[in-house]
Amino acid sequence: MNLISVKHVNKYFLQPAKMQVLNDVSFEIEKGKFVAITGKSGSGKSTLLYLLSTMDTAFEGSIRINQEEMQGKSNPWLADFRNHHIGFVFQFHYLLPEFSVLKNVMLPALKLRRYSSSEIEHRANELLKLLGVADQAHKRASLLSGGQQQRVAIARALINEPLIIMGDEPTGNLDSHNAAVVFDLFKKLSAENGQTILMVTHDEDIAKRSDRTIHLTDGKIDEVHLG
Amino acid sequence: MKLLTDIQLTASIALTHMRTRLKQTVIATIGVTFGITMFVFMVSFIQGSNDFVKAVAFEQSPHLRLYNEVQTTPGTILDKVQTHAVNIVDHVKPKDVLLSLKDGKQIVQMLQQDHRIRAVSGAVNAQVFYRMGSSAINGIINGIEFEAENSLFNLQAKLVDGSFHELSTMPNSLVMGIGLAKRLNVKTGDRFALTTEKGNSFYVTVVGIFKTGMTDIDKQQSYASLNTVQRFLGVPAAYITDIKIKLHDMELAPALSKELQTKYGFQGSDWKQDNSAILEGDALRKMIVYSVAITILLVAGFGIFNILTMMIYEKMKDIAILKAMGFSDADIRWIFLIQALIIGIIGALLGLLFGFLCAYGISKMPYKSDVMITLDHLPVSFNAVYYTTGFSFGILTTALAGYLPSRKAAHVDPITILRG
Repeated sequence: MNLISVKHVNKYFLQPAKMQVLNDVSFEIEKGKFVAITGKSGSGKSTLLYLLSTMDTAFEGSIRINQEEMQGKSNPWLADFRNHHIGFVFQFHYLLPEFSVLKNVMLPALKLRRYSSSEIEHRANELLKLLGVADQAHKRASLLSGGQQQRVAIARALINEPLIIMGDEPTGNLDSHNAAVVFDLFKKLSAENGQTILMVTHDEDIAKRSDRTIHLTDGKIDEVHLG
Repeated sequence: MKLLTDIQLTASIALTHMRTRLKQTVIATIGVTFGITMFVFMVSFIQGSNDFVKAVAFEQSPHLRLYNEVQTTPGTILDKVQTHAVNIVDHVKPKDVLLSLKDGKQIVQMLQQDHRIRAVSGAVNAQVFYRMGSSAINGIINGIEFEAENSLFNLQAKLVDGSFHELSTMPNSLVMGIGLAKRLNVKTGDRFALTTEKGNSFYVTVVGIFKTGMTDIDKQQSYASLNTVQRFLGVPAAYITDIKIKLHDMELAPALSKELQTKYGFQGSDWKQDNSAILEGDALRKMIVYSVAITILLVAGFGIFNILTMMIYEKMKDIAILKAMGFSDADIRWIFLIQALIIGIIGALLGLLFGFLCAYGISKMPYKSDVMITLDHLPVSFNAVYYTTGFSFGILTTALAGYLPSRKAAHVDPITILRG
């Protein structure tokens, strides 16, 4: 069963001049795979990721995630869908600086309301422990180091047990040690929890070790490696 | 249920934003507070002085007055004789009407039974000359029944010297306005001469002096008993020229005036006609207060608008992350709108409190009035309407000031920010 199904997707940038970024992109991703999206700068790989993230709704073609068509859905519906099924990790750690580490992790779950507040707090603490930053839980997010912040961001992405975890070069801003730690963590998650990992990366090493690589050249799928 | 928890969550995010920007938040709140304080204080004070001016004027004027007046008859006698002709009569002279109200005393008694009427008094007004030495001063003498007149105009409170009660016990006695007494240089107990229109002269004794605060009245009028004035004029005891009426609900005056005019065939006027200048001034002053208050609130609103707009520029990244997490555009809008509303509600409530305190403080300030003897503090009006208006104004401006930036925040495109 395919979790993500992309059919004939075209995407244009209208500013500054009309330009085609994605050209008839089609592929399918199975559940529980670790998929890397690679390509040169400007090849459209980030654009593809943000289309899959459901935040960008201006495209032609069809994107189905978990049997749901993304084309033409309303903003609240998509927001709710993201909240349920998608976790994000960005290159720049992007925690909310005024909130505590714990609150940062809890926010998506508080929005989802699957569990009670105390249950959510317990789960957030467990995740922080798993990622080795439990001792930072009550600090303000802005006081943490880069590596720590990225681990908190991963905890935040995991709190709602999403089907898909998306990363836009999540290791791009980390030193090689931290990058390896984060990568191993993702690998483990996809193996143990059956969560699908979708990651845009420059890192050849990561691409080689993924289950599958989607390589983009000038908005077209160039080759699909099966790992 | 989901909606409730969503609002709770957005409110908690809004509160965290405000806590980390405490100084700006406090300044924005003070802006609103100041606006509402000024509004409540100014409206209370101006309305208080309006009420005071009105009270001074209206206490001396009845709600409704019935009288006869010399006037030109409408139409001519020729119109009655030659009904189908065009009749032109030049230089029609005004008809000499009897100023007395026909059956006046009976009508006064009938009006006393009317449940709409609080008090009614029949009186005789006459033009006289007050003579002292070689000078003669033109003025008006009011023949009154003290009890009835006092229940209308509260005369007793305006007495500065002597008493009204001797009017009925002492022949040819009168109580005169303080301005008039000064012009004649007389005081209580003095005697002087008085000449009527017809040329009859009488000696009168001053038994009291009053002060209404209305210069026109104080410089011209005096009160005597009804019988005394009737005797001066040489008319029978049934002769009265004025019926003055106070109502329970003064707003009914114009309608009742019309009703009584057609019923009895007298001329009539009501307080709205008599005091149109004061009422007009009243409305204008209120407009000034409201426009000043709205200006202040607008400035406060711009403050909130600025702070939220700046905050939204600072928070672009946070907004994008929240959207990526699964917060919808509406949730983001609420986060910022709630901040504006909290500032508005707290600012408005504090404004009401401070406004009340200012108004209360000034109402305790000693103030000696030359005009109103009963007044010893600044006049301030306390009315719940000003407080509810001020509060609604405050909430309205802050909601408007918050709405525009929060809409902008809701429309932030997360991708352009997350891609860097």
